[in-house]
Amino acid sequence: MRQSLKYTFSFFFFLSLFFAKAQEKAATASPPPEIIVKGANGNTKKEKSPEKKLETVIDTVKPKTDRYGLILGVDVFRIARSFYDSDYKGIAFVGDYRLTKKYYAYGEVGSEEVTVDDPLLNTTTKGAYLKVGFNYNAYTNWLDMENLITIGVRYGFSTFNERLNTYSIYNPHPYYGQTSATESGKSYDGLTASWLEVSPGINVKVFNNIYVGFSLQLKVLVTNTEPNGFESLFIPGFNRTYDGNFGAGFNYTVSYFIPIYKKKVIAAKPTTKK
Amino acid sequence: MKKILAFLMILGFASSSCEPDDICDPTTPTTPRMKIEFYNIKIPSQLKDVDNLKVIGEGMTEGVVLNPTATGNSKYLANGNTILLPLNTEADLVKYTFILNFDNDNPLLVHEDNLEFNYKRVNSYVSRACGFKTTFDLNEDEPFILSDSTPSDPLWIKRVLVEQNNISSENETIIKIYF
Repeated sequence: MRQSLKYTFSFFFFLSLFFAKAQEKAATASPPPEIIVKGANGNTKKEKSPEKKLETVIDTVKPKTDRYGLILGVDVFRIARSFYDSDYKGIAFVGDYRLTKKYYAYGEVGSEEVTVDDPLLNTTTKGAYLKVGFNYNAYTNWLDMENLITIGVRYGFSTFNERLNTYSIYNPHPYYGQTSATESGKSYDGLTASWLEVSPGINVKVFNNIYVGFSLQLKVLVTNTEPNGFESLFIPGFNRTYDGNFGAGFNYTVSYFIPIYKKKVIAAKPTTKK
Repeated sequence: MKKILAFLMILGFASSSCEPDDICDPTTPTTPRMKIEFYNIKIPSQLKDVDNLKVIGEGMTEGVVLNPTATGNSKYLANGNTILLPLNTEADLVKYTFILNFDNDNPLLVHEDNLEFNYKRVNSYVSRACGFKTTFDLNEDEPFILSDSTPSDPLWIKRVLVEQNNISSENETIIKIYF
């Protein structure tokens, strides 16, 4: 866990650099549209010259369309962790379907098998989960940029089973010596849990239709069928449970944007003109 | 955008916060000890203090710490009217030697009695940090066996009463010893 957090942070710092660059780019990129817009304004006067005609053709096509489609991704951190962490096997697929200019429908399906080794308990949780919700893109893209800085709300549901591998007796007064870990192997099946989560994230188009994304999740459990005489220590999709109902997690995704249709943003253009 | 970045950073740090539920809180009820109260045999309703009582488990070299605030050898000696005795989480019985007036200069005052307790154990889940605890149920038949030490000296324990068979809390009196 600590190791994964270290990576989280290094990724964060990497992102912070990226953000700064993105902003600078935006600043330098901002003058061209104005120039183009001015050109478009003046095009009625200068229509007679054939050189300007070409320019206007390019102008009208470029900034007017938004691409709509599905951004389909896979959580690469979970795949990577499945390789280097023998206690973890997991995979998750995420999808953002663009509904309107700012809103995306969000879906995520995943499967996880995790062995949690606490000082006194060792458990293995195995299960699948589904998350549905939406993302709001708060980022204003310039020209043909298609980046996302989102805040999302989701509802997650997981069905899983938990196996208690070993346990230790906590004895604050071990006169006869501390008991060593006891083998159990008891399995608790048919457990379910559901939760709400708020997730800020970014999804940056690195080239063509490839996106790299990172999102954090803060979660609160809504329902949780606790195993009889035990506790769900890990819930697939929710992660480790803490005292209280709160949890946290993150996704690090690589996605591919599948364009489905284009929509002209004529409505938005006059406002910038006027 | 900077605001969002700051927000993300704060969230990042918040999610990394040390995990406070990893350490078992000492106030959490876990494996209990057995509470024994000492009463006056002449006035059975009256609690009576023991004098330098030392309790040693069978096969053990050191006594049970009955006075945790004291230092040196006196931490093994009880002088109050209650003691807490640990039970074995890996066996269904414990055998203790109760020595009254331990290390007294007058050997006639030193009395040794044996008390054996028989019980059943139940392991139950407490929490992630505390793992499991063992609670005990004293047997209905023969919960204890009082015997004299060897070499024989008069029994200083006159009577033993089981107040409660279920040992799940250190606050409840399980055994009453009259002397």
